[in-house]
Amino acid sequence: MPVHDLGYRPWNQRRAARWVRPLVVARGGMALVYKRRWLRFMLMAGWLPVLLPAMGIFAFESSATDPELQRVIVGIVSRPMGQPELGQLILDDPAAARHDVWSSLILAFFRYPQLFAMVALIGLIAPLMVSYDLRTKAYLMYFSRPLTPTEYIVGKSAVIWALLGLIITAPALLLYVVGVLLSSDFSVIGHTWDIPLRVVGASFVLLVPTTALAIGYSSLTSESRYATFAWFATWVMGFVAYNLLTFSSVAMTQQRRGRRGRRGPTDWEALGVDLDQWRWLSPYHTLGKVEAWVFGLDATPASVIPSMLILATITIVAFVVVRRRIIARLSV
Amino acid sequence: MQIPHGVTGLLGPNGSGKSTLIKALLGLVTTHSGHGQVLEHRWPESCRVIRDLIGYLPEDDCYLAGLEGIESITLMAELSGLQGREALRRSHELLDFCGFGEERYRPVESYSTGMRQKLKFAQALVHDPPLLILDEPTTGLDPDQRLATLRRIGNLAKQHGKSIILSTHILPDVRTVCDHVVILVGGEVRVADSLESLSRPIEPTTHVSVAGASGDFQARIRSEGLDVNVNPYSGQLAIRGTDESMTSRLWAWAAETGTAITDLAPALNSLEQIFMHAAGQTGRDGTNDVGSPNDWTPMRQTTESDHARS
Repeated sequence: MPVHDLGYRPWNQRRAARWVRPLVVARGGMALVYKRRWLRFMLMAGWLPVLLPAMGIFAFESSATDPELQRVIVGIVSRPMGQPELGQLILDDPAAARHDVWSSLILAFFRYPQLFAMVALIGLIAPLMVSYDLRTKAYLMYFSRPLTPTEYIVGKSAVIWALLGLIITAPALLLYVVGVLLSSDFSVIGHTWDIPLRVVGASFVLLVPTTALAIGYSSLTSESRYATFAWFATWVMGFVAYNLLTFSSVAMTQQRRGRRGRRGPTDWEALGVDLDQWRWLSPYHTLGKVEAWVFGLDATPASVIPSMLILATITIVAFVVVRRRIIARLSV
Repeated sequence: MQIPHGVTGLLGPNGSGKSTLIKALLGLVTTHSGHGQVLEHRWPESCRVIRDLIGYLPEDDCYLAGLEGIESITLMAELSGLQGREALRRSHELLDFCGFGEERYRPVESYSTGMRQKLKFAQALVHDPPLLILDEPTTGLDPDQRLATLRRIGNLAKQHGKSIILSTHILPDVRTVCDHVVILVGGEVRVADSLESLSRPIEPTTHVSVAGASGDFQARIRSEGLDVNVNPYSGQLAIRGTDESMTSRLWAWAAETGTAITDLAPALNSLEQIFMHAAGQTGRDGTNDVGSPNDWTPMRQTTESDHARS
């Protein structure tokens, strides 16, 4: 027996408000996942891609005093990035082009490195959230406290939101700050004030449906490896299915062969390819459409509403599934 | 059903609805009908408030994987509204109370079943709830730990004024620590009474053991118009119609007949018999009888010595 053992002592102090209890679930989940060394490594590695758009912003701001660098940037923007109008605008009025250049760079950061980082991170973390609780019946511990299933789901989801915010939203906002600091004066804030809001909006679009889907998979099984497999399968199969159905017809045509050797982006519309027809099959492309719309850079002709509806449906269905699974487990 | 202060044993055969009743009290399962009051709060309307005032130890082997014992209980404390260092301090205090040493810093999944059981007990207590619901709290504990846990339960009820509902299949635990008993059968309350009242036979009986022959002693008792039965195996006498007020007369009759009494005690109903009878009892109209001691006549005539004989 410890020398300081006082036996049982009553406790009658002020308790925290009930609405903060989901934060405790989130903090507990964060403490749990943060013990994993590979996660800490991933979080650090997840910041590395931010160097590329940061260099882009640096180059753009430097081009104001370096015509040679400006020509290089215009070349990159016009051909590999497929925005010749923006390239011309950089030549004509660099200050007016700033908003679109920064947005394009941040969108590219969202779309390519961080989306893959997000898929990897959620795939490794999310199955640990609910599956483990189902396996060890920890939900009985949580729900012995005044916690609703919704608060539990929000608490668990908040762990993923926080981690994704660390590798996606925070670096994107930092990019904006870097851009402001590198620009000639702080008056650029007046022209670009909406970019941080768009970053937050795009983060919301990225985080909420993907987290809901991952938690939904996690709640369907007490074997976290099945949830992990389902998660990665959804992304890979969706990506492959979209590309096969969208581009297979044109891949064999003469038109496609005739373009060999030409530089710059492909004009898919001119080739008769509908980029939006099969978009609903692929979470990657559906997210891309909505994120591009949030940044005001959606180049495809179809409306963004179907993609938004798909993401909203995924979120709602996943939430309902998780909630029902938890309530069903409690009833046993 | 009314649960009084003290320790109440919740008994019933498998599938009788004990765990469902507990989960319904906590608001973990949907209640389609019925209402009541738990700790002066309306039930089931105020289930979340009620849950904040209850310490629940689930029957299932449940734990928060990946956390150390101290982290696990601190998380539960914080979920109950304890904050920061106070949650940590209180968690350590409860782990001390439950007999944890340095193993509190080990991951919970490395704990034995008994240690997890003690951890769950500490988690149920960490926010100092006025009502504790303990579902099989001694399962998986070794005899020493079982007794220690029962002592803690008794201590919490007697010295700290906790109301405790103890759901268990281990009847000796109920006999050791409970003041009241509720027996559920088929989802209905079959028995609800104090253990003392249930244990008392309808007809007061005294058990007497003697050294050597007891023929003269039996004859003397019968001469007073009392009925004596002799246990053919132990030789113990069951003297019907005698209560504590007749003890001195029994001693006097023994002295008159030169009989040496080695043991004298009032007969009690066996809890096993009470349970078996309640579990098998069906009302005369085909419904279950509920709770009135007067409906217990057949069982109350069964004494512990009868049980031993059978």
